[in-house]
Amino acid sequence: MKKTAASNQRNVRIIDGIPMLIAAIILVIVLAVIGFAGSNNLRRILIKVFIYCAMGSMWNLMSGYTGMTSLGQQTFIGVAGYTVALFTAKFALPFAVGILAGGVIGGVLALILAVILFRMRGMYFAIATWVIAEAFKTFFTSWGFVNAGGGMTVAGRPDREVIYLMCLVLAVASIVVIYVLLKSKLGLGLTAMRDDADAASSVGVNIFKSKLLCFVICGVFCALGGGLYYLNNVSIYPGSGFAIDWTVSLVFIVIIGGIGTMSGPIVGTIIYIVLDEVLAQLPAGWSNIILGLIAILVILFLPDGIMGTLQKKLHFELLSQKRFSGE
Amino acid sequence: MSFIQNIINGILLGGIYALLGVGMTMMFGIVKLTNLAHGEFIIMGAFASTLLAQALGIDPIITLIITVPCMFLIGMVLQSVLINRVMLQGSEPALLVTFGLSIILQDAMLLLFTADARRANVSYSTTNIQLPGGLYISVLDLVVFVISLVTILILTIFLRRTYMGRAIRATSDDTVAASLMGVSVRRTYGIAMGIAMATAAVAGLGVGMRWTFYPSSGGTYLLIAFGVVVIGGMGSIPGTLVAGLVFGLAQVFGGANYGLLVSYILLIVMLAVRPQGLFSK
Repeated sequence: MKKTAASNQRNVRIIDGIPMLIAAIILVIVLAVIGFAGSNNLRRILIKVFIYCAMGSMWNLMSGYTGMTSLGQQTFIGVAGYTVALFTAKFALPFAVGILAGGVIGGVLALILAVILFRMRGMYFAIATWVIAEAFKTFFTSWGFVNAGGGMTVAGRPDREVIYLMCLVLAVASIVVIYVLLKSKLGLGLTAMRDDADAASSVGVNIFKSKLLCFVICGVFCALGGGLYYLNNVSIYPGSGFAIDWTVSLVFIVIIGGIGTMSGPIVGTIIYIVLDEVLAQLPAGWSNIILGLIAILVILFLPDGIMGTLQKKLHFELLSQKRFSGE
Repeated sequence: MSFIQNIINGILLGGIYALLGVGMTMMFGIVKLTNLAHGEFIIMGAFASTLLAQALGIDPIITLIITVPCMFLIGMVLQSVLINRVMLQGSEPALLVTFGLSIILQDAMLLLFTADARRANVSYSTTNIQLPGGLYISVLDLVVFVISLVTILILTIFLRRTYMGRAIRATSDDTVAASLMGVSVRRTYGIAMGIAMATAAVAGLGVGMRWTFYPSSGGTYLLIAFGVVVIGGMGSIPGTLVAGLVFGLAQVFGGANYGLLVSYILLIVMLAVRPQGLFSK
C-alpha cells in the first residue's frame, strides 16, 4: 500500500511556473475589466468572492499549514469594520486612511493576542479565540464611544467600482503573500511544524517566530477584508461585526475546497458564494442547515475537500508549495 | 448588605453554571471530544421542557421524565452514527463536525420554534424568601440550584458505584487497557454522550426557568460551559462545581453590563495561565 502511495507521489504533476503566471495575470485583467463593464449584481457578488477568498485563504494558512484552528477571526473583522466607521464618521478622514488604519490595528491586535493565545494549542487555542471575539462583542455592545449596541455608519463611501478594485487587489495580494511565504524556507518550517511541532523545533524551526508571523499576517488581511466589507456594507453592529457567522463561512470555504491546499479556498469560496446566493431564495434558516449538512458530509466522505481529493486522484497540484516534484 | 446578597446570588447562579459544564466536562474527560454543539443541546432541552409543560399543562420539572430519556437516546445515536466515525480522522475534524452540528441545530430550532423569546413559566417565578437584614433568596433560583446539585450528585454516584460508571472512568483513564479488560470503547463513548445530552436536558430546564431564551442562545451557554470546564479542569466533576461557583460569583460582581465580560476575561486569563484547570487529575 505504502509503496504505491509513494510511487503515485513521484508522478505528481505540478502546475506552476510561467504558464500559470500568465493564466493568473489574464484572469486578474478580465476580473478588473468586469469591474467596470459588468452589471451591478455581478460586481456585488464578486466583491463578496474577493473578500471571502482573501479571508478563507488566510484561515487555511493558519489551520491547514500551521495547525492553528482559529474560531475567532471575527475579532479582526469587527475591529477593522469599527475602525473604518470611526475614522470616516467620527474623525471625518478619507476612507483609505480608515482601511489602512484597520489593517495596522489588526496587526497590532494580533501581536497582543498572540502573547495570550500562543500559550495554548489545539482546541484550547480554538476556543480561546472564540471567547476573545465574544468578549469584544460584549464590550462593543456596552461601549458608548462606538454607539454601543446601536451600531455605526460609515461616511463617504466611494463608488462601487473603487471598492471592487480594492477587493480584487486584496484577494490577489493575499494569494501572492501566502504563495511566497509557503515557497520560502519559512513555509517548509511551517508545514513541518504542523505535522510534528516537537520534531520541527528539534531540527531548528523557530516555532514561535513562524507562528507569530502567520498569525499577524492573517490578522492584517482579515482586518483589511473586514474594513472593505463594512466600507461596502456601510453599517456595522457589534452583533454582525463580531458574529461567529464569519468563522462559519471561513470554515465551510476551507473544508469544502480542501484544507492545506493553495487552490482549495479559492474553489471553496466560489462554491460558497454561489450556494449562498442560491440558498438566499429559500426561507431564512434553511441556508445554514444545508451548508452545515454539506460540510459534515464532506468531512465524512471527502476529508481532503474538493481540490485535495482531485489532486490526489488525478495526480496534479495547483500552486504547489513543494520545491521538488518527489518527496 | 448588598455584598452578602451578591454572594447569595452568585452561589445560586453557580449551581446552574456547574450543571451547564458537567456534560461538557464528561465529553472532554471521557471521549476527548470538544463538543461545540453542547450549547444547542442545552437550548434543545429548554425548548423541550418549555413546550411540553405548556402543551400538557404540567410543571416544567415533571417534563424531565420525558426529556431526559429522549435526549439520552439522541446522544447515543449521534455518537454511534456520526461522531465515533469522524473521531477516527482526528480531533480537528471532530471539532468541526460538532461546529457544523451546532449551526444545523440552531437554525433547525429557528425554523421550528421561530425567533420568539421563550421562558418556562412556574407559579413561584417572582416569590422570594425574606431573610433578616433585608436579604432575600429567590425561590426560582433556589429550585434551579437544588435541581443542579441533585443532578451532579446522581451523576457522581453513578460514576463511582455502578459497573457502567466504572467502565466509563476506566475508559477515560486508559482506553487501551479498558478495551483489553472487555469494555467496548465505542459503546462507552455512546453512553457518555447520552449522559452528556441528558445533563443538557436538565440544564436546559434550568436555563428555561431562569432566563428567557432564543434558538440562538446556545453560543452564550456553550461559552459559560466551556469556562466552567476550563476553570474546573477537564473531566473533573467536583472541579466543575467549584468552577461554576467561581464563574457565577465573577458574573454577579461584574454587574449587569460587564458581568459577562468579566467572566470571559477570567476565562481567557485562566486559559493562558493554568489551562489544565484548578482540579485537573
